[in-house]
Amino acid sequence: MLVDFELILSAQRGDASAFNQIVSAYRRRILGTISRLIGRPEDVEDVAQEVFVRLYFSLEQLRTPGVFEPWLYRLTVNACYDYLRKSKRRLESRMADLSEQQVMMADAVAGSRAQSDDAEKRRVRDTVNGMLSSVSEEDRVLLTMKEVEGLSLKELEKIYGVNENALKVRLFRARQRVLKNMKEVTQRPPASAKPEEAQ
Amino acid sequence: MEHEDRNAELDSWLVAYRDACPEPEPSVNFMPELWAKIEARQISTNLFGRMAKALVTAALAATVILGMISTIGSQPDSSFTGTYLEALSVDQATTLEPFNLDRVSELEQQ
Repeated sequence: MLVDFELILSAQRGDASAFNQIVSAYRRRILGTISRLIGRPEDVEDVAQEVFVRLYFSLEQLRTPGVFEPWLYRLTVNACYDYLRKSKRRLESRMADLSEQQVMMADAVAGSRAQSDDAEKRRVRDTVNGMLSSVSEEDRVLLTMKEVEGLSLKELEKIYGVNENALKVRLFRARQRVLKNMKEVTQRPPASAKPEEAQ
Repeated sequence: MEHEDRNAELDSWLVAYRDACPEPEPSVNFMPELWAKIEARQISTNLFGRMAKALVTAALAATVILGMISTIGSQPDSSFTGTYLEALSVDQATTLEPFNLDRVSELEQQ
């Protein structure tokens, strides 16, 4: 754990500076996790702030120091679900309003932005985001936590509160769906190369 | 074999994805914005709490008033001071008919 339980107890009693210390200790880790879970760097800070707002209002419920980190991860996962659901709805409604020509122009603008960004990294992110779009937000987050974040099944068990076998089944199914979608996504024009070739 | 290749390819994409996602540095406004959000949430929570309390108080008051009204409305007439049997006979007097012998004999004949 990055902080003492004493600090958490102080924050529970309403000590703002203790809460600030907890946020400072965990924010980089949480920002990194969110960045990989949602795949959109521009919104990472907003989602991280939402996680800490939820932490602030639910901190008094915490009784056992050992569950602090899994619980913080759970808050992070839930905030990412909410963000992904909302952004999916936003994107669908935005795209429904646009004509085909407007969509092509939007793609072109995004393409020129990619040039200023690190284009290869962006391409990898877009490709993997495309692959992961074949599964639900819940499965996307679960798969990313396991395969990208590198969390063990035991850790995921604590975060999700379900047994290991159920997680294994869900991960297997999600992975199968991503594999099915992978071929199609990687054969689309700009993302035809394998990741090794991109580096 | 092909299945294993595809699994390995997916693994390599996921590893590349981890490297491609930037490790974001928190901006200087991270903490002030966080506290602004907390305060905004606190205000809305307090407002909602006050509204909920007012609603509960109003519901309780309405329950008490309605209870009192229904209690007063359903109280029995206390003007009668006789015994229970007397009260019963008064209550049933209008519905009881004299015993009809003809009808009994009719029944016996059937």
